[in-house]
Amino acid sequence: MLERPGGTGGPARTGGIRMFILRRILQGLLVLVLVSIVVFAATQALPGDPARAILGRGATPASLAALREQLHLNQPVVQQYLTWATGLLHGDAGRSFAAQEPVSKLLGDRLVNTAFLLLCSGLISIPLSILIGSYAALWRDRPFDVVTSLVTLVFAALPEFVVGVALVVLFATTVFHILPAITLIPPGGRPWEQPIAIILPTLTLVLAVTPYVVRIMRASMVEVLESDYVEMARLKGLPERLVLRRHALPNALGPTFQVIAINLAYLAGGVIVVEYIFNYAGIGGALRDAVSNRDLPVVQAIAMIIAGLYVVLNLLADIATILVTPRLRTRL
Amino acid sequence: MADTPIERPGDLTATALTRRRLLINAGVLAGGVMLAGPLAACGTSTPTSTGGTPKRGGNFRLGVTGGGSGDIIDGQKITTKPDQARLVAGFETLLEYDTNYKLQTTGLAESVTQEAPDKWVIRLKQGITFHNGKTLGADDVIYSLRRISDPKQGLFGTAGLASVDPNNITKVDDRTVRLNLKQADSTIGDQLGQYYNGVVPVGYTRAGEQIGTGAYKVQSFTKGQQSVHVRNTSYWRSGLPYFDTVTIIDFPDVAAQVNALLSGQIDAMTDIPAAQISVARSHSNLAILEGQGADWRPLCMAIDMPPFDDNNVRQAFRLMVDRNAMLQQVFSGHGRIANDLYSPFDPAYDGSLPQRHQDIAQAKSLLSKAGKSNLVVDLHTTDGAAGMVDSANIFASQAKLAGVTVNVKNDPNYYGDQYLKLAFSVDFWGTRNFLPQVANGSIPTAPYNECHWPPSSSNYISLYQQALAEPNAGKRADLIHQMQKLEYEQGGYIIPMFNNLVDAYSTKVGGFNNGSKATLNLDSFGHGYRNIYFTS
Repeated sequence: MLERPGGTGGPARTGGIRMFILRRILQGLLVLVLVSIVVFAATQALPGDPARAILGRGATPASLAALREQLHLNQPVVQQYLTWATGLLHGDAGRSFAAQEPVSKLLGDRLVNTAFLLLCSGLISIPLSILIGSYAALWRDRPFDVVTSLVTLVFAALPEFVVGVALVVLFATTVFHILPAITLIPPGGRPWEQPIAIILPTLTLVLAVTPYVVRIMRASMVEVLESDYVEMARLKGLPERLVLRRHALPNALGPTFQVIAINLAYLAGGVIVVEYIFNYAGIGGALRDAVSNRDLPVVQAIAMIIAGLYVVLNLLADIATILVTPRLRTRL
Repeated sequence: MADTPIERPGDLTATALTRRRLLINAGVLAGGVMLAGPLAACGTSTPTSTGGTPKRGGNFRLGVTGGGSGDIIDGQKITTKPDQARLVAGFETLLEYDTNYKLQTTGLAESVTQEAPDKWVIRLKQGITFHNGKTLGADDVIYSLRRISDPKQGLFGTAGLASVDPNNITKVDDRTVRLNLKQADSTIGDQLGQYYNGVVPVGYTRAGEQIGTGAYKVQSFTKGQQSVHVRNTSYWRSGLPYFDTVTIIDFPDVAAQVNALLSGQIDAMTDIPAAQISVARSHSNLAILEGQGADWRPLCMAIDMPPFDDNNVRQAFRLMVDRNAMLQQVFSGHGRIANDLYSPFDPAYDGSLPQRHQDIAQAKSLLSKAGKSNLVVDLHTTDGAAGMVDSANIFASQAKLAGVTVNVKNDPNYYGDQYLKLAFSVDFWGTRNFLPQVANGSIPTAPYNECHWPPSSSNYISLYQQALAEPNAGKRADLIHQMQKLEYEQGGYIIPMFNNLVDAYSTKVGGFNNGSKATLNLDSFGHGYRNIYFTS
């Protein structure tokens, strides 16, 4: 899926960075179309009958038939797909079976809430992990490196829900009582209106992502620091700060951006667990609820949102990699 | 997923109620029964009210288990548990159940009288107004009952009020309504006390404004998240309620709910898990509220399907259960053991039938008498309500002692096409009095007759019809006892236990009744939030 920069590489392509971006956008769209087919097919394969799930045990044959008609469940699958995909293109994700209201209305506020949580986690974890990773490489095998290595290994091994629950026990319910255990966002309210309430969910996500990025940043930096051009720069007599900033860091960032992108995209999935722990009103909670209600339009919409996020983040990572890697830039 | 039981009319894990105890209390009048005036409370176990001096004001924050995008607010229907909490904030019923599960005239009706077996008269109290200032009158009652009777609305009360003829409800005067039934029915009073048969104003719709007579009116509502209810300043019960606002928050995850309570973000929560009870007790500012529930998770043997078409096998299976052990393992002891009979709160419940205990020797002998030693059976279950899967597994291990192999089939699509067609399955039911329960689950016309009860040779149905038509409580109890005896001796249900409703709350909240016979959590949510308050 990814074009790994700096890899074996094909013949140099022409058109410069603009054509590259255009090409990647078109590829991304193709991926989204394929994903939409997979998502649609997968949700069709979910066990159980949505009409029965909605009506529960009170379902009578007549009410089941009426509801199936209303939900277009009687149409051929291909036609259902086309109706749905056309709707998506017009920004209409359909109506939620369970809530009986447009999916966009159901998800609108939740999407903002989740996006804000991801943004906060990203803004903290990315600079933090680049910083920690770089210094760990720079001070290789010294105490800082040994400690971060150990700590990141531990946090990388712990699932988010363990970290989340531990933070709640530590800061909210048992040891200290200084932070709220759950995030209550009143309807119509925004998460940034109560920053204290999002500290723990943000921290959980930061702890989930940072270890991976730190480790890849360190590895990448170590490799770069041992490279000929860094040695050359040092031999040239450049000040160490300049060597690091101008030569080492940009080259080490390339692979790191890819890992950051994958991790941020992973966050979009990991956020489901975190939202669950903190009762956070985001798309994760909506997804869980929709799956148990067989609320297919909502499941499909959220799957498409997460897929879209993957595509966008990968695109951004590729562009960023190209921009920080002169070697790749000039080959375009 | 397990947190949201699949709904069935009238049943949530904690629910419905009732019986016409008031008829017994009120005595039998010539030609009919009169329910009038607040009846003296005469209970065997008196629930205790949690103390403190009431203080006005404050925002009461309640966390309710479950909920999601299927949430609704409707004065006459619920789909999720938070819906129950929201319904009782805004809507009230004509009659009410007290903490001893007795029907009382503390609701909107001044009296409810059975004039004749098929005629009931409802007389409203004076001076009750809806949230929009409109006075409650006979027309609203007629509209409410017609809405419940309309099968197209899909409301819970429809089945219970099946005998009501919607075209034959007459307005006697502004405060009096007469119901002329299609057939004799002595359970109308019970139905009018069901929390989901709330009184709504003429023209009410779910999509429209939520206007009831309750202590709190809806200010905002977001499905799957929370609702805010503000004090009804012109509430008809003078001096009540106490809180300025009530905020009801959905919690799909019970661990988050407990954490919110421990960290003081909510003031009360429904359904604290057994493992967390001691944690909450160890907090000096938290307390546990335990109500006696009458929810049940029967193991259902279809009496016309092998091997259960032989009554010896059914009796053997009932004798294989170690009820105390099952209660401990499934509900950590928070409940009472049962005797294979439902509706324990019904005044006509026959407590004189001997309690069944595990008797493996007798079970083996019955099985061998039936020629069914070393039986192998499938037991179908699903994660539909707490305890359904555990009960099945524990039964399977207990049955081994009698040489019976029970293969538990946990099927996510249990409530699909095979439901009600299985020889042996686990189901769940809420609290309901005997005759309404029979109408729902124990006669051929019942929508959920898992056991295919009764046997064609028995006089059960004729007893049921006589009981339904019998306005005299004593005579009706005799008929019900005969029905219960038939089920006790030949029935297909194994009912090992009834579980309690166990909730937790902050001790700064007062006014809850502990130990009440409750159909809804938290002492029926502090009786529509009107009895509870922050203590000063």
